[in-house]
Amino acid sequence: MAIEMIMPKVDMDQETGTVVEWLKGNGQQVEEGETILVMETDKIAIDVEAPGTGILDGISANPGDVVPIGTVIAYILAEGEDLPKKPIESKEPVLEIPESSVPAEIEISATPVARNMAAVHGVNLAVVDSTGTGGKVTKADVQAVVSRAAKPVDPREIYATPAARRTARIEAVNMGLVRGSGPGSRIQVADVKGYLTSKTQADFAASPQIQAGEVIPLIGMRRTIAERLTASYQSIPHIQFTVRVDMTNFFKARNDYNELALKRGDDKVSVTAVLVKLVSMVLTDHPWVNSSLIDDKIILHKDINIGVAVALEKGLIVPVVKNADQKGISLIAFETNDLITRAREENLNSADVKDGTFTITNLGPFGVEQFNAIINPPEAGILAVGSTTSEVVALPDGTIATRPIMRLTLSADHRIVDGAVAARFIGDLKTTLENPILMNY
Amino acid sequence: MREITYLEAVREAMTQEMERDSRVFLIGEDVGEYGGAFQVSYGMLEKFGPERILDTPITELGLTGAATGAALIGMRPIAEIMFMDFTTLASEQLVNQAAKLRFMFGGNATVPLVLRTPAGSGTGAAEHHSQSFENWFVHVPGLKVVMPTTPYDAKGLLIASIRDDNPVVFIEHKLLYKTKGDVPEELYEIPLGKADIKREGKDLTIIATSIMVQRSLQAAEELAKDGIDVEIVDPRTLRPLDTETIVNSVKKTGKVLIVHEAVKTGGFGGELAGVIAESEAFGYLDAPILRLAGREVPIPYNRNLELKAVPQVEDIIQKARELVNLRV
Repeated sequence: MAIEMIMPKVDMDQETGTVVEWLKGNGQQVEEGETILVMETDKIAIDVEAPGTGILDGISANPGDVVPIGTVIAYILAEGEDLPKKPIESKEPVLEIPESSVPAEIEISATPVARNMAAVHGVNLAVVDSTGTGGKVTKADVQAVVSRAAKPVDPREIYATPAARRTARIEAVNMGLVRGSGPGSRIQVADVKGYLTSKTQADFAASPQIQAGEVIPLIGMRRTIAERLTASYQSIPHIQFTVRVDMTNFFKARNDYNELALKRGDDKVSVTAVLVKLVSMVLTDHPWVNSSLIDDKIILHKDINIGVAVALEKGLIVPVVKNADQKGISLIAFETNDLITRAREENLNSADVKDGTFTITNLGPFGVEQFNAIINPPEAGILAVGSTTSEVVALPDGTIATRPIMRLTLSADHRIVDGAVAARFIGDLKTTLENPILMNY
Repeated sequence: MREITYLEAVREAMTQEMERDSRVFLIGEDVGEYGGAFQVSYGMLEKFGPERILDTPITELGLTGAATGAALIGMRPIAEIMFMDFTTLASEQLVNQAAKLRFMFGGNATVPLVLRTPAGSGTGAAEHHSQSFENWFVHVPGLKVVMPTTPYDAKGLLIASIRDDNPVVFIEHKLLYKTKGDVPEELYEIPLGKADIKREGKDLTIIATSIMVQRSLQAAEELAKDGIDVEIVDPRTLRPLDTETIVNSVKKTGKVLIVHEAVKTGGFGGELAGVIAESEAFGYLDAPILRLAGREVPIPYNRNLELKAVPQVEDIIQKARELVNLRV
């Protein structure tokens, strides 16, 4: 019986996938679990495994083809078997593959398929209950964890002691991932604590322990970053403008916001949150900087969605504050805090990182005074924020004073943003940051 | 410190209180010339004379009524009911009169009565002389219920009971009478409503009463050999109950075994389980609350059956292991 290979659904709101490359061709022998296809969504490239062992045949989607998810794109045939006459109806795949795909590099006995699957799904092998011979973790074991993790768990469906529930609540443990050792597989407090310990160890083991001389395959997030930045840098002519901004009034405004936030019990207002707000306000007057050149069309975006670059251990991710120009500082503060926290916990979903129209990247905390950023396509601009340092400045009345100075550098897509347009934008931005009250004008 | 028996500790508490306070007297069946069915009041008739050590006919209701009346007019009687089984006969006066009067007179009358009585099986005394009825009285507002385990607790709690202005049911255990322990010679009170941690541990809380505290302590020694560290809480007073000590212990160990001799159904263990389940300790429970208690039968005469009818050391060890090893 021919095994269908379908375009998998790897993203929550994904409808199609693009075939990037077949690693095996028609007539070639493939092993179940072996990577045979590279596909991509609008976010990320994903390795797709052979769903069975046999001979690959009947490939119906070629590199570049955009295929609805669930569509059969090839078959795995047994020796001597013919291709099915009619295409079998497509069906919704069960699995959802999260964007992160870090290989679990821990000393756990597992079959190669299980190890690969765990890597793709971001499952720590240490927390998988093994059923294979000699305690080996099998594909089915990983599958069980993946399907348990995929859906939110109703606590009432979990059999656990009150103490285990309490501990799980305090430690924010998803009880669906904890294996119970009590009677009837009841989850005990020790199981939750054990899960936490093994997870911590596994996370530690899985975090990049880079050694000199090591060769790391270009996969997952790193591959996406590499491809996108190369494409951006090679195809987009960047122009860059730097301004010095006197941040005195900006910080005063931010302190005022924070006093109010404290009184109301709101989230603390970060510099980033205020920047997101002010940049979005200035962008309302500069539609060209908030646009995209896609194919032969220039799209002037109606929405102003500001991406905030967040550095992670293994790369970079850009969660997006949507419609920032229409939101108040307190809401933006809440959203940015939430997005950054979840980004660091690798807990973002695809909606959090899509539809950005402009990006802010801040390396100030690292002490970088000024830098040029590469545009995050299809956006037309990115703002590189440097550190704020106390500098001596000449005031209009001829006296000298020290002021907090920050350097902002705009990189713009010169194909659609003219020099004067970019200059006006960065000039307006400087004026607004130096007098945040103008925001209300 | 001087070591005396539980029985001697009870006698000493009564004697010293009678010496201290002329309003204290003892009334009961065979408490005088015979010295008490278990010799608790041996020698007290000679010491205090027949006006303060009163032998009564076989009339538990009558003697309890007399003691209640005496208490109402300012005396501080100690009434002895020879076997707890016979408190059924005394209960009209105790439950419907002694327990109610203070409330009915708006606090203007007090009933400083102590009703002492030995409970429990193990002496081959069969159905009518072996029962444990503590929970019948725990159910009555207006009564206090005390169940001492050690000679030290017996003396201090009896003195506190005699000095208390409310009727107190003071339940001794026949098998504890001969047990020995350190007891100070001077008068001292152990406040009613204060539990005692008889053994500290971290793996399991055993809440036990009366003789079951002793059996739990023996069980704990055995369990310790397997590395099971048992904490034993002795409430000592069942009403009012020291919930704080119990809750804190459960929060520490997360597992509870309740052990008492009285029949399980309707026994004090249900009350303890309820108190724990209602408290903040609920969120710390890592296993079901277990009760180990008397079987649902009258205490049999046959020695082997009698031993089977109530928890023994081995039973406690077994239940504790089930709890700690998560077999329940």
